[in-house]
Amino acid sequence: MEAEAAKLIGAGLAMIGAIGAGAGIGIVTSGAVQAMGRNPDATGTIQTNMILGIAFAEAVAIYCLVVALLILFVF
Amino acid sequence: MSEKPKNRVWARWVVLAAILLGLFLFFQFDLFGIKIGLGITPIMPHVYLPGEKLTETPLFGDFYITNTFVGLMLADLIVILIAIGVSRSVKSGKMVLTGISGAVEALLEMLYGITEGTAGKWTKQIFPWFATITLLVLAANWSGLIPGNETIGLIHEYEGHGYALEHFGPLTTIWDSGHAAAEGEAHGASYAVIPFMRPVSTDLNFTFALAVMAVLGIQYFGFKSQGWGYLTKFWNTKTLFSKPIFGFIDFGVGLLELISEFSKILSFAFRLFGNLFAGAVLIFVMGSLTKVFAPAMFYLLEFFVGLIQAIVFGMLTMVFMSQATQGHGGEHHEEAHA
Repeated sequence: MEAEAAKLIGAGLAMIGAIGAGAGIGIVTSGAVQAMGRNPDATGTIQTNMILGIAFAEAVAIYCLVVALLILFVF
Repeated sequence: MSEKPKNRVWARWVVLAAILLGLFLFFQFDLFGIKIGLGITPIMPHVYLPGEKLTETPLFGDFYITNTFVGLMLADLIVILIAIGVSRSVKSGKMVLTGISGAVEALLEMLYGITEGTAGKWTKQIFPWFATITLLVLAANWSGLIPGNETIGLIHEYEGHGYALEHFGPLTTIWDSGHAAAEGEAHGASYAVIPFMRPVSTDLNFTFALAVMAVLGIQYFGFKSQGWGYLTKFWNTKTLFSKPIFGFIDFGVGLLELISEFSKILSFAFRLFGNLFAGAVLIFVMGSLTKVFAPAMFYLLEFFVGLIQAIVFGMLTMVFMSQATQGHGGEHHEEAHA
């Protein structure tokens, strides 16, 4: 196999990790929206915590993305 | 107030002209045998991970002027100009700030509200960190959306899939390079563009430095609020002998806290860098695949991503700082001493 092809496949495989982050962000948002529906007064606090949770879940996907970008453009 | 509708009409004509210009440049209509439009095919620019050097010789030592450095200077300039403008309009004595000053006031009020809800009595100390980081990162992220940011630059010979050089009348070489790249004919020597400016958030050096500053600030607040007792968070031998098994667990948790401080640096740095660099690549790809309308939608997406990432970076710093001031587990009696 050529190195170029292996690189492309590797970058694609690296992004598989985004599945977990996507599911995580979905769970966080669904929980937050339900909580806001039950208690609209607490929207501000819930939103802050929701964004924090999303940021943490998203970080994992970003690691995958950085690995994929490194594979594609650096090595 | 009579100026407002006038402004809007003016903006509408500009948008219409821009749409017509885009259609003229990128599409070719065949109207009864007469070809209208240039029909330029957009190209995929080259993606560089590190900031590209603009000068051959270093400024001093191993320090080159890179295009991300120019981006940082632009972001700094924007923040300073906004600060001067806001302070001038605050001093002017108007009760209600308008324009950019009003927007900055609204943003800072929102940030202050979030800080008050989390940090409590440390709000006054922690808020400047939050606001500084957010404003700088926001300016850096949004400066990448200025048209011409990553397209105007120096031409250089490029080995690999470069694009042919084409001279386009007596116009400057800057436009030449853009046009040559747009033609996409790779024969003979191939060329690529080093943009003069790139948003600084797409440089890992900047995000890493900012992350180190943020984590050092977190430790500073920990020491400030708890004195040397803050170290027991990481080296917890207090319960090692008094509690049979849980003492060891507490000690292990302390060591894990130490590791998590270092992983904070990595996650801060890679979150901002990954989001913004991926955004830049996304705009490259979309701009080369589609011609006129779709890239605008991705500009809008990048607008929100830039805002959210700036706020997330600042907010995480703020939350970690207020956690550091609150002490950890059974250290309440030490806090009472301080």
